[in-house]
Amino acid sequence: MPEMPAPILLSALGSYNLLPAIVFLPTRRRCDQAASEAALSRRDPSAERREARRKFMEEFVTIHPEIRGHRHWSLIIKGAVASHHAGHIPAWKLAIEKLMSAGLLDAIFATATVAAGVDFPARTVVLTGSEARTGSGWRQFTASELQQMTGRAGRRGRDRVGFIVAAPGLHQDPQKIAELLKAPPDPLVSQFRATYSTLLNLLDAFGSFAHIREVAEKSFAHRDAIGRIKSLLAHRAENEARIEEKLKEASIDLPLSGVLGFERLVSARSRLQEFQPQTRAEVLQRWLHNVVQPGRVVGIGRSGRRLVLVTERRDGSVAGVREDGRRASFPLERIGRVYSPVYHPNLNATEAVFDEIHARGRELVIPEPRLSEVRAEETDALQVMDDLIGSLTPASSGIDRERLTELLWGLMADAEAIERATRRVEALRDEVWQPFAQHARVLAHFGYLDFETEKVTGRGRWLADLRIDRPLLVGEALESGILASLDLPLMIAVMAALTADEDRDYGELELSDSLVTALTAFENVGFSVATEEWKHGVEPTPELNFSAAGAAFRWASGVEWSTLVADTRAEEGDLYRMLSRTGEALLQIAGLKRVHSQAAQTAANAAEVVLREPVR
Amino acid sequence: MKRSGEKFRRGGSKRRGGRSDEPATASKAPVSSEPVRHPTQTREVKQLLAGIGAPPPAPFKPDPFQLEALAALEFEDILVTAPTGSGKTWIAQEAIRALLNEGRRAWYTTPLKALTNSKYQEFIDQFGANQVGILTGDRKENPDASLIVGTTEIYRNQLFDSLRGGSEVHADLVVLDEAHYLADEDRGHVWEEAIILTPPRIRLLLLSATVGNADVFAEWLEEVRGVHCGVVSRPGARPVPLRAALLLPDKRLMPLLSEAGRLNPEILQMGERAREERMRSRPGRRRLY
Repeated sequence: MPEMPAPILLSALGSYNLLPAIVFLPTRRRCDQAASEAALSRRDPSAERREARRKFMEEFVTIHPEIRGHRHWSLIIKGAVASHHAGHIPAWKLAIEKLMSAGLLDAIFATATVAAGVDFPARTVVLTGSEARTGSGWRQFTASELQQMTGRAGRRGRDRVGFIVAAPGLHQDPQKIAELLKAPPDPLVSQFRATYSTLLNLLDAFGSFAHIREVAEKSFAHRDAIGRIKSLLAHRAENEARIEEKLKEASIDLPLSGVLGFERLVSARSRLQEFQPQTRAEVLQRWLHNVVQPGRVVGIGRSGRRLVLVTERRDGSVAGVREDGRRASFPLERIGRVYSPVYHPNLNATEAVFDEIHARGRELVIPEPRLSEVRAEETDALQVMDDLIGSLTPASSGIDRERLTELLWGLMADAEAIERATRRVEALRDEVWQPFAQHARVLAHFGYLDFETEKVTGRGRWLADLRIDRPLLVGEALESGILASLDLPLMIAVMAALTADEDRDYGELELSDSLVTALTAFENVGFSVATEEWKHGVEPTPELNFSAAGAAFRWASGVEWSTLVADTRAEEGDLYRMLSRTGEALLQIAGLKRVHSQAAQTAANAAEVVLREPVR
Repeated sequence: MKRSGEKFRRGGSKRRGGRSDEPATASKAPVSSEPVRHPTQTREVKQLLAGIGAPPPAPFKPDPFQLEALAALEFEDILVTAPTGSGKTWIAQEAIRALLNEGRRAWYTTPLKALTNSKYQEFIDQFGANQVGILTGDRKENPDASLIVGTTEIYRNQLFDSLRGGSEVHADLVVLDEAHYLADEDRGHVWEEAIILTPPRIRLLLLSATVGNADVFAEWLEEVRGVHCGVVSRPGARPVPLRAALLLPDKRLMPLLSEAGRLNPEILQMGERAREERMRSRPGRRRLY
């Protein structure tokens, strides 16, 4: 059933004496709309409360002038309703929280993701749905999410009972809500992972990878792994005992390792067979998977005539730059041709790259494999395996060959289980450490640590002090002198592009030439870092956010907050968070006075500019 | 629909003037929490809404679970799991008060800057400005105070610095507020690092929302730190009892759950009827009840 219009919802709740209420809605926009609609058709009849709100807001605005003239001001004063979500600046949210706890509001419309720990309970919590909106659709709330929301129903000392009300909505299923209310809370799941910062700091502190491994193996994530390793080893021992018993029963004098060897050969043979490509398309797909990488030029379509310089590849999808300079992304299988050179995708030099391909394309193209060739190779391999399997059950050993073969096949399932367990145990043991080793290799490539002696270099020591989201990228920008060469507004803009959420929109302000040049230089650094990360299996750093750079550049020019909001048409809360994080990142760079004095000096001044009221 | 909306609003306004639970009007409106009359109010709904309103004012008295946690913290690390607003902060506050009185030191970490700022203010009100400092990514005040409030990242960074410089973190107690942030996809690893790297001599107090595996979590803490970690949960889970209702498009209210705690059978039937009707009129289109 459709969502109930906000005014009707509130009047219904009011008629049951269920106000004040927090109404959870799926998006920020819906919250703002609902608050506006509700305020339009209701007027708090108590002049006393209206006056109390006005007085509160007038006082509040003297401490937080940035909320003066807020577009929702009158909704609060007249209608006693407000919307509360991450699109609003902290001062505004604080005002609403305070009004609510003073009992001066009747309803707050909030998104389900309302920050944890922000405490503004109400008598009633209204759920307009049983599902949460995600980037790509809808999913059911988890038990913990629902608990986080319903936890706000019932004010301690002011309500004898709290209520949750399931209200009509398109994504509403009362049965699901009833189930979730009963469901036990979700367990805590570890999100332990390797980061450059942790790696450098721990290596500098302890001086050996073994120590870091020790720390990693203490993680909550690895505790699960330890449990699983134990049970895998126990199962493996059972299987081994069973095989040995059967060998003994059959009085065959073959060691356990012989049985396991046989299994390995047999399963290798069947894997090889399975993997043998059956069609030309399969051969091509596998080949493309191996040869397409950032920096290579590929031809699109069967003819392969449209050229693209690949800048990024994630599994089956490819992104790059076309000859006309525009970006393109397409699935791997659309590629018809691949050229062998690996270029540095300096986006200014793409012309030269494409010129070379046009001139020498014929000799640079990588030849496609043919189905018959691939098959011939693998058929040979299968023959070798068959011979090996035969030799493991030799006629000369004095054992009845037929009986032995039969027995070995009979033990296959157990042997397979042992092999699987062994591989799994190894993987589990390495799971928590492996990402650190991969990060260490990337850092070693750029000279921040020495992999052989397991020591942090001088360069690595200052990078360890840089506690920001993408330290390696910033470190490289510092080392290459790019950051030092930027003036104050450019540094602000570039750091904003780097600190902002990758896919959030901060408006579409036009970027000046100097800013585009600076961002391109930064992108090139990013590319060389990403290439190395890609090589070592480290998740590459996300792309720069150009729209954040535009907004921050405007802020750096000294405009008023209201002007910035009006010009970008971005949500205030998003702008605020982006700038606040940019300022923090700049403060971190400002701390590198001894090694990068020029950049540190600019960053210190830049931080002061960014972190001016209301950003702090 | 519109007219009835107006009618209800009028009804609502009359009540609002005399509502008993608003502090501003409480003194002159002793009308109290007598259930509100409503045209469609059935016995079932009356029962659902019975007792709505404000309890008589009572002096603050700590819950047994708060006292239990506080007492246990003398001897061991403590993981407190309870829903928001049930008084976890009080435990931390009293533990810190005792510590400060003995001239010892504490660190209080939160996941959010906004939360850090509001705790800072709260603690200044409690302990006085000279006792409290704040450290966030862009704010640094009174950093040598006996009580530091800051984001978990900054605390973790201090641990890094102390390990690298061979110094000690100056704290006898570390409180990790919103400790369930350990499961946050982006930042959760910081909580694990903080827990693993905090020296065992420092007492840990973790305040968490209710989680499904509190005991496992505490066992892990104990293994990692070599200090026993007790779990204190709020029995009955909620400080104020909760009732669930379903609001229908015609503004009728009904209990969401049966007395056994399952979905109200009436709602189940309603849903099935609606589904059947839709199947008849628009086959192939799936909608929720």
